Amino acid sequence: MAERRAAVTWNGDLMTGSGTVDEVGSGAFGPLDVSWAARSEDESGGKTSPEELVAAAHAACFAMALSHALAQDGNAPERLQTSAAVTFVAGTGITRIALTARGKVPGLDAEGFRAAAENAKENCPVSKALTGVPEMTVDASLDA
Amino acid sequence: MPRIVREAEVAWEGSLSRGSGVANAGTGAFSLPVDLPSRVGDAPEKTSPEELLAAAHATCYATSIAGEIARAGGTVEHLDVHCVITMDEVEGKGHLIVRSDIDVNARATGVDQAGVDQAAQAADEGCPFSALIRATASVSVRAELAS
Repeated sequence: MAERRAAVTWNGDLMTGSGTVDEVGSGAFGPLDVSWAARSEDESGGKTSPEELVAAAHAACFAMALSHALAQDGNAPERLQTSAAVTFVAGTGITRIALTARGKVPGLDAEGFRAAAENAKENCPVSKALTGVPEMTVDASLDA
Repeated sequence: MPRIVREAEVAWEGSLSRGSGVANAGTGAFSLPVDLPSRVGDAPEKTSPEELLAAAHATCYATSIAGEIARAGGTVEHLDVHCVITMDEVEGKGHLIVRSDIDVNARATGVDQAGVDQAAQAADEGCPFSALIRATASVSVRAELAS
């Protein structure tokens, strides 16, 4: 069992106030500034948001699951690049997560890579925690 | 309603158990190393998907409860929000995120503890992240008005 912690402070009201992701259990990051405007408008001003943190969590989880699945099938990847784009609609929530995977995987063809990516999308723990997201897509292709 | 897209990218080298990756935020707000040992074992200075989710949930909830306390007629001065995400190995299902526990200490005027309790419940219902993970994990929220 693994427990992971984060602490956030917020000052003032939602619209004009602002917050900070002060620290996380590992000490790996923080402080990170957050605000409602940076979350809900196109221009983030370099500030992170819950949706960006979810995107990072999902892209990392997806990369690990894909690396593991490929290796188990005897096609250990040399390199993988994944991304997650999380769409947020204020008042509705997260409506879409688009995952991508690019990889250098000796001995595997494009179809095999796509199948492995689809499988990792279904089975990584973050995907399973986010099954309520209406649309989750994956786009996978091998590096030339 | 405007649709906002936030993106992050991970570059991973090598196997799951011995390889490692870097997670980069689209906004440039962070660039973080990730690997498996820091995900399932002790976490010395490296983050993990679950820690990033804890940060996401704490942030989402902080904005939610700030809004709800104001709606209840209170004025928020300062909120401390802690989130703990628990991942466990569930028989037949592999690793699952099983819990998220939120704990808030609120400094606010114009609202009493009962009002803060109500705001905490409403914030849980209103935070989209709470709603999402409640489908497969348990979520608890607790908020205390600082005296």
